[in-house]
Amino acid sequence: MSKQIAEKPILYERFPIWRRIEHIIMVLSFSTLGLTGLPQKFPTSDLAVTFVQSLGGIENLRAIHHTAAIIMMFGTAYHLIYMGYSVIVLRDKMSMLPTLQDARDGLQALLYNVGFAKEYPKMGRYTFEEKMEYWAFVWGAAVMGATGFMMWNPITATRFLPGEFVPAAKAAHGGEAVLAVLAIIIWHMYGVHIKRFNKAMFTGMQTEEEMRHEHPLELDEIRSGKVHHRPDPKTLRKRQMIYFPIAAVLTIAMLGGIYGFINTEETSLTTIEPLTESQIFVPQTPQP
Amino acid sequence: MSLRNNIPSNRLIPIFSVILGLGILAYALASFVTPAQAAPAILRQQEDGKPGNDFCLACHQEEGLDKTLGKESLPVTINPTQFKNSVHASEGLRCVDCHTDISDYPHPDVKVKNVRDFTLTFTETCKECHEEQYLKAHDSVHQKALDEGNKDAAVCMDCHNPHTQTRLTGQTSGELTPSARLHIPETCAQCHSVIYNSYKDSVHGNALTEEGNSDVPTCIDCHGVHNIQNPTTVTFRNSTPYLCAKCHTDSSIMDKYGISTNVLDSYVADFHGTTVKLFEEQFPDQPTNKPVCTDCHGVHNISKVDNPDTGIALRENLLVKCQRCHPDATANFPDAWMSHYTPSPQNFPIVYAVNLFYKFFIPAVLGGMIFYVLTDIYRRIINRIKGVKHS
Repeated sequence: MSKQIAEKPILYERFPIWRRIEHIIMVLSFSTLGLTGLPQKFPTSDLAVTFVQSLGGIENLRAIHHTAAIIMMFGTAYHLIYMGYSVIVLRDKMSMLPTLQDARDGLQALLYNVGFAKEYPKMGRYTFEEKMEYWAFVWGAAVMGATGFMMWNPITATRFLPGEFVPAAKAAHGGEAVLAVLAIIIWHMYGVHIKRFNKAMFTGMQTEEEMRHEHPLELDEIRSGKVHHRPDPKTLRKRQMIYFPIAAVLTIAMLGGIYGFINTEETSLTTIEPLTESQIFVPQTPQP
Repeated sequence: MSLRNNIPSNRLIPIFSVILGLGILAYALASFVTPAQAAPAILRQQEDGKPGNDFCLACHQEEGLDKTLGKESLPVTINPTQFKNSVHASEGLRCVDCHTDISDYPHPDVKVKNVRDFTLTFTETCKECHEEQYLKAHDSVHQKALDEGNKDAAVCMDCHNPHTQTRLTGQTSGELTPSARLHIPETCAQCHSVIYNSYKDSVHGNALTEEGNSDVPTCIDCHGVHNIQNPTTVTFRNSTPYLCAKCHTDSSIMDKYGISTNVLDSYVADFHGTTVKLFEEQFPDQPTNKPVCTDCHGVHNISKVDNPDTGIALRENLLVKCQRCHPDATANFPDAWMSHYTPSPQNFPIVYAVNLFYKFFIPAVLGGMIFYVLTDIYRRIINRIKGVKHS
């Protein structure tokens, strides 16, 4: 018994609480967007009809979709501000940037799986799988944001762009949605739930064993003391003094952007006067 | 200056006297030749003791015969040729089968004091033989208006003159004959003349009235017959796409004119149609601000889409339609609607390109992912069999 306690695994922090909150925001908004978006892409399917009706109708469904989109925009703004803090103030290593090594790792992993390489690649803080997913999300968010804007504000969009861009945006929004949802189901599900149920995004921690399997290079760095330390309080304070005003301006700008996204135009009248025949009963006058 | 002012009033008295005298004379002559004396007895009595048609026609074929009802006069002349050709006469019906209160001359008194009320006393008569149609008509917007006190609302006889109505359906098929179809709008025009004029100039009405085309809809194809419903309700509006689609998705009609049958699918695939379809299924009687067919194409005045003045294939004409709901829309805006086209290299090439891109991009990305995942599963199984720990 006591032996087991003594051998309690060493835990390494993988995601601080801020990152975990961010993840939760994205999980909720992404799932909601997918669930309320796909029925709009496939409106003739029975499943879509049932789902739309259960949510109180298409107009409700759209309101939920729009709300989830706004939450994701806030999530994105939050992420950018956080990234700025991480890079400018904490001077963290930009470990999410893709490198040539990631391509080599991916190829080696594939070759290893099919039996043409002896070893599985040793990777650092973010594996090629994780980077691929992150940057796919960035690409997706950019496409969905831009095309979503055009659909949300078609009158504004067609002031500057050909009208055809609106249905093109709709096509891209739908195509990208199918891609994103299926990619999450295949890549994310397999990578962090099926292959091994990876709880790091919820607990924030990984065991040494897990680190050795998945992020051996990062573990080596931590062990050899090459790990990046927080700046000393004085430097931190100094950098914060510089970054906070920048962050404030950026925050205001992004919030303004989100406000604009939502309120740029009054796309259509909410009530339309029905077409009516001016005179219904007009008997023919007898011919003389 | 009127004529009366030129004639001294004392000179009017003899004129009136002459008119009055002639009137009395005419009346006396008319009563002298009563059918009772003119018609042979054999015409009078049928098996049930009631008179046959020739008996009635002996008087009623006379031109200019009127019956005075209050201050109005009802023409009661029956054209014998038209009557003989009517479906009722040719099926052997007798006048007295409908005019059940009459069996002799002089006729019993008519209590109603105007022509319309007299017509309305016959509304139950048709039910005797045409119960199905009668019951349908009882659920119609016309009957509803009548019940609300609008005596102008159409009853059976307003559309089907029982004395002249010829057979409308094929003897064996029971379907409306093409020639009967041609005359339907004229029937409705009796009361709805403004709508008729609008219809007559439309692509549908013009083909019917000018070319005798029986593919185009007449009034009853959209409004129904007998159980005609109020077409201004939300329910009617919401179901419009399916109404138009009845013909416009039927290639046996549309192919002749080179018209696309993809109009409903392309509408439902677009934002407006998606909304209306999903909305209509759940709230058929709730209004929606999304357009249905008629909002862009018109109702009775539907024109060809390439008509230079009104055709909505012309962007300027379409913009006007867009602006009804999107007041701020500008010149580029109409192209945001793909005009029922399926994107192709010729029509909406950007949309076509985007679709083409995703057609290959989605399988490529997902295929790559699936391939990698499968190799990973394969390696894990092999490693487990061999007892090697997966790194």
